[in-house]
Amino acid sequence: MAHPTQLGFQDAASPVMEELLHFHDHALMIVLLISTLVLYIITAMVSTKLTNKYILDSQEIEIVWTILPAVILVLIALPSLRILYLMDEINDPHLTIKAMGHQWYWSYEYTDYENLGFDSYMVPTQDLAPGQFRLLETDHRMIVPMESPVRVLVSAEDVLHSWAVPSLGVKMDAVPGRLNQTAFIASRPGVFYGQCSEICGANHSFMPIVVEAVPLEHFENWSSLMLEDA
Amino acid sequence: MTEEGGKNQDMKVMGILDIQNTPCARESILHGAGGSLVAGLVHFLATSRVKRSFDVGVAGFILTTLGSWFYCRYNNAKLRIQQRIIQDSIKNKVIYEGTNLDPTRKKTGDQ
Repeated sequence: MAHPTQLGFQDAASPVMEELLHFHDHALMIVLLISTLVLYIITAMVSTKLTNKYILDSQEIEIVWTILPAVILVLIALPSLRILYLMDEINDPHLTIKAMGHQWYWSYEYTDYENLGFDSYMVPTQDLAPGQFRLLETDHRMIVPMESPVRVLVSAEDVLHSWAVPSLGVKMDAVPGRLNQTAFIASRPGVFYGQCSEICGANHSFMPIVVEAVPLEHFENWSSLMLEDA
Repeated sequence: MTEEGGKNQDMKVMGILDIQNTPCARESILHGAGGSLVAGLVHFLATSRVKRSFDVGVAGFILTTLGSWFYCRYNNAKLRIQQRIIQDSIKNKVIYEGTNLDPTRKKTGDQ
């Protein structure tokens, strides 16, 4: 989850997010170097005593500062497109979950084998147990098996919402009357937090998402328990 | 976020690039600093022009950092791919050992 004063991404919990992190580092290094160059040129311009009012053209520098940015853009575009297509790969999911956005909670339906569905409301601040996170915890978590491709079908019952879990590298708009699909693989067991990412009313900030990745047999035990309780 | 024992202050170059936790960042910046020093010094010794040597130093920093960065990231990416292949292979071996799908099993006949 995010921590106070955090500027960068959360640690990756899925292969796609790992790739996104690496691409971000790559793009950031290029940005850093260009910024260094620009800063240096500005400093040199400000401090120079030379003025040359009679330069009309200079073919060499024009060629350099045309070709070089094009090369830099290609160096950024190639990994970017690779990740773009990687994110859209057909991955044969082991499990399909429907995430429905409501004002102001999420509901999850596991309908592959049995009809399992439950709502996921935020735990109010006054009801938090020691160690729980304010505005992030929910009464029921979306449990998924780890290291298994999971497909999430996202929609909404009333207004626009958005289902987002940053550490899994997933964000998908929940549009009423439309079914959007996204997929992820949780590479490691853990609890991953997200928040609604599309303004949806007064309690838009108070409908978090919690995904818990567990080993497969724990997932089977949990789903059996949930079906018994239902 | 990792915390190793006591205080671990993140060192962010220009406030954005976390050198300690980004693979290849520290090496690239250090190589760049070294390259900048060498380039600027050599140019100054050859020409005795201070300002131009600074310009060459900055250009040296950018080019050396970029070159070191791409080289290191390319090798890092190859390593990560190999790591992933090995991980999948180990998992497959554990799952399929002793069965018909065991990848290490020698194929006999036309089965």
